[in-house]
Amino acid sequence: MLPVVVVHGGAGHIPKERSERSTEGVCSAARAGYIILQGGGSSMDAVVGAVTELENNPNFNAGCGSVLNVKGDVEMDAIVMDGKSLGSGAVSAVRNIANPIQLARLVMDKTSHVCLTAEGAGQFARSMGVPEVPQESLITEYSRMRWKKNLEPEANPVEFQMGKMGTVGAVAVDSEGNVACATSTGGILNKMEGRVGDTPCVGCGGYADNSSGAVSTTGHGEAIMKVILARLILFHMEQGQSVEAASDLGLAYMKSRVDGLGGVVTVDPQGHWAARFSSGQMAWAAAQKDTLHYGLYTGEHFTQSTEMLLID
Amino acid sequence: MAERFSPDQNREDQKKDLKMSAVVVVHGGAWAIPDELAKASVDGVKVAACEGFSVLKRGGSALDAVEAAVRAMEDNIVFNAGHGAVLNADGEMELDAIIMDGRTLGSGAVSSVKNIANPVTLARAVMEKTAHVMLTSRGANLFAESIGTVTVPTDTLVTEYERKEWEKRKNYVTGVMEDFNAQWVHDTVGAVAVDCAGNVASATSTGGIRNKMVGRVGDSPIIGSGGYADNLSGAVSCTGHGESILKVTLARLILSHVEQGRSVADSSQLSLQYMADRVRGAGGAIVVSPSGQWAATFTTDRMAWAAVDQDVLWYGLDPKERFKEQFSQ
Repeated sequence: MLPVVVVHGGAGHIPKERSERSTEGVCSAARAGYIILQGGGSSMDAVVGAVTELENNPNFNAGCGSVLNVKGDVEMDAIVMDGKSLGSGAVSAVRNIANPIQLARLVMDKTSHVCLTAEGAGQFARSMGVPEVPQESLITEYSRMRWKKNLEPEANPVEFQMGKMGTVGAVAVDSEGNVACATSTGGILNKMEGRVGDTPCVGCGGYADNSSGAVSTTGHGEAIMKVILARLILFHMEQGQSVEAASDLGLAYMKSRVDGLGGVVTVDPQGHWAARFSSGQMAWAAAQKDTLHYGLYTGEHFTQSTEMLLID
Repeated sequence: MAERFSPDQNREDQKKDLKMSAVVVVHGGAWAIPDELAKASVDGVKVAACEGFSVLKRGGSALDAVEAAVRAMEDNIVFNAGHGAVLNADGEMELDAIIMDGRTLGSGAVSSVKNIANPVTLARAVMEKTAHVMLTSRGANLFAESIGTVTVPTDTLVTEYERKEWEKRKNYVTGVMEDFNAQWVHDTVGAVAVDCAGNVASATSTGGIRNKMVGRVGDSPIIGSGGYADNLSGAVSCTGHGESILKVTLARLILSHVEQGRSVADSSQLSLQYMADRVRGAGGAIVVSPSGQWAATFTTDRMAWAAVDQDVLWYGLDPKERFKEQFSQ
């Protein structure tokens, strides 16, 4: 059963012309994470590796390809958590760096703090020698087009939001049974400057605990925060629920209590995994026992040998 | 309205008219409070609890009560929130706060905001006037400006005491792992309440830890860690070693025990013990249930706390201490 890695590329409505690229992206990220695990890397290495790849992929709302805030700027949030120590690192509203997930890991590894925000996070990045990148390098034509369109008076921001509300994330269990999670996002389109969503909040955007499992979430951030979705799912697992049942219970509760939609990837320390969502779609992929699993629409589950993928 | 909450009234009557007993509980931070601050801290939490309870007696909501109680402590220079908060590594003040409404699970928070006298009120505005839950740093300040919140110069928020303490400590390497009970760590304020309608709310506000890195966000503004409120289980406000509280999502953890049928006191005790065992963190929590059960619990040397329940003011500072006075406005 071990090791295993599961990734998501965000829950929401993915336009058809972009769906194939989303699927390819998550498959490739899962493969990258799995290679790290097979090479003896830790689950933390694997989730950071997988999410780094999704941040670098312009098709996802994280790192390059992040949505723009109301002023047309990119402000990103990310979190990592290590299930062995419950150690966690997060950054919120950080600018001008390519890989917020790696900065979140530095916060965990190099400071006595858990979360650094805004300019303070930027200062820390510079002190760690993380290269500063021009904002332009994080902005795609697509994200700028959507930002402009949403500023038009007749725009319906809520409807438009659904076009791409997703965050990226990963969970993994390594061969020693350690679990980890990582989540990264550009947030929501046309958000206020300084808006922080669920992603960098421990228990909301993700949680990892070797005694129960790991979860990375995506979807309507404010709803996820209200129910502390990742932690809620793990409470259910502590009560004996399976990864799948616990994920569904958490998502159903979020829908009924605060009318929020979203998706999650979940693992337990034994290597059981689930990719569940209440939104119409979520691009996801998992790699386990040399098999790659992936899907996009509800009920979809394709498999492929990873050996074949390792060659291409 | 006072007679409605008299202790002699039998429970059946309360059920009949669906009036529950209103309760407010506040804390002024869990840490090794030095003797010279002890009296001022206890006096401060008593005033804040009475302030919150007066709001409830006038028919105010739990949300109004926790905001009023926390504002009283933000305005009191003895506490590390608002006026009197600690300084970061650059000698600046960055404030965090959260408020949560147990009726809707609605929440508002600000992190790393500057030059605001009452961050808890700004947090409430985030909840009520934006589609977001949390605003950080400059964005939070821009929002404050846009709704007409008065910006105050840093100097008016910094006390002479804090400036001196900061000077003394600035030689320490920032970001080193410190024993939490070291006296230079100075903590958070918070309040929880249940109103006559059975609605619960929580609020927490802090300056964080002295000499913290610029932009450090602790547990206080993080939903489920610094505070949580849910009419189905109760409301919690936490204090103590922020990074430990985050790792165990302390507020939500306590309520998960309540949901399993445990008392608010047992739930707090179990969760704080778990935090001590699992991540070696000390802290404190105040909890109130929708039926008016409450607890103030801590694993640090001291926590200044006070509660008003049925016109009786309870308060304490040292472990197992529980004094009682008649509530007066």
